[in-house]
Amino acid sequence: MAHGMTNGNADVFENLRLELRRGCLILAVLGTLRTEQYGYTMRKSLAEHGLAVDEGTLYPLLRRLESQGLLVSQWREEDKRNKRFYRLSADGESILEQLLAEWQGINASVNGIVGAQILNIEVEDGQGKGIDRSLLAGR
Amino acid sequence: MDKEKGLIARYLQAVRFWLPKEQQDDIVAELAEELQSKIEERESALGRKLDEAEIAALLKQSGRPMVVASRFRPQESLIGPVLFPIYVFVLKIVALCYLLPWLLVLIGIAVWKGSAGMPGYFFSGLGTFWTLIFTSSGVVTIVFTVLERVPREKFLDDWDPRKLPTVRVSDRGQIKRSSSIAEVIANLLVVFWWLNLSWFNSLVFPVGVHVVLSPIRHYFYWGFLSVALLSIALSVTNLLQPYWTRTRSYMKLGLDIAGSGLFCWVVKARMLAEVIWPNVSAAKTAEVVAAINTNAARSFPFAVAACVLIVVLADLPRLISSRPSGSQKLNGVHVAS
Repeated sequence: MAHGMTNGNADVFENLRLELRRGCLILAVLGTLRTEQYGYTMRKSLAEHGLAVDEGTLYPLLRRLESQGLLVSQWREEDKRNKRFYRLSADGESILEQLLAEWQGINASVNGIVGAQILNIEVEDGQGKGIDRSLLAGR
Repeated sequence: MDKEKGLIARYLQAVRFWLPKEQQDDIVAELAEELQSKIEERESALGRKLDEAEIAALLKQSGRPMVVASRFRPQESLIGPVLFPIYVFVLKIVALCYLLPWLLVLIGIAVWKGSAGMPGYFFSGLGTFWTLIFTSSGVVTIVFTVLERVPREKFLDDWDPRKLPTVRVSDRGQIKRSSSIAEVIANLLVVFWWLNLSWFNSLVFPVGVHVVLSPIRHYFYWGFLSVALLSIALSVTNLLQPYWTRTRSYMKLGLDIAGSGLFCWVVKARMLAEVIWPNVSAAKTAEVVAAINTNAARSFPFAVAACVLIVVLADLPRLISSRPSGSQKLNGVHVAS
């Protein structure tokens, strides 16, 4: 639970956080799959980059992206076990480029709008701990 | 198969049960691989095999099988968010206009049957009432489930903002819902009582006095019944749209005039045909009948005056405060239409 929140507020925050995360996760997954990976290593890779995702979220998302033609997959044996490897399709590459451009545009806009607030949080928090400093670049 | 592997197999089988048939093998194989990778990683960190409790904890962490499987299915709903408010609205109308009258009739009949037959009748009627609830709500649900699956792009796209109801001007002419409900209940009781007027041909009083009414009574019977039924329809409309419109104000005026007219006619119509009183001569009772009819007829002007006064006092302010027909309240914001 976030600091100083009531239970009701914490629920609202959690819902909004998940909503915000949902779109970002798609970007991260598409970005990760520029190189071929299977589900488990993909989860580890995302977690190492601070974007932990459970299998109940990742695998349905992979299937959805594949059904939309953004990913291709194949079953292959590795370490004596069958694994399903995913990678970005040609359409996926193109969509990812467009989405990244969109993401950067949104990011710049949001930074322009809330940049001052982010600065205040950083000052209150001492070192701006926990805030991605790249967010401050837009102000 | 050892206990640990058996647990994983049982878990995957439970997930498989809820998956779309054509994807079952593929998804289960992928989940099995994921679980195996997790277990291997944990075992290599611990330097030993995981026991049954640890495997169970790991599976629990993965989520309840039905929930895990549900994430692989497309979002499905019986009635979607667009139709759901209309569905609830229709259910409310069915409850108010169909089920509530039924319940009142049921209670009315039970009361009318008297204390002896009441409990038995009431409980057998209650069984019918439950059937009515399930049937009516079931039919509405089925209709909306079908509508949800019918392409409705035309309905969603083909609309004209200019055809939306006009914004209600102010709170004047507001009708309390409690008043409308009371009117519906009162009129239903009147209708129920009126329909059971077996004594309407000849009134019998406890002391053995029979009062026979004039044949003209049939006009009043149907007249008052029609006024009561139309009043119910108007009250139900008022309940759903709780403000007076011009049209409904005129309808109410018409009903009040019709009711008053019938009442005044009853007064003047020499309704008493004959009174039969044991141990009293026919000549004497004929005198009583003539006297009652004459005095009632004499009170006709007063009846008319009273009715006109009531109609003017009740209906005139309503007509003045009513809004143009089709007006609507919009979030309590009153904007001139």
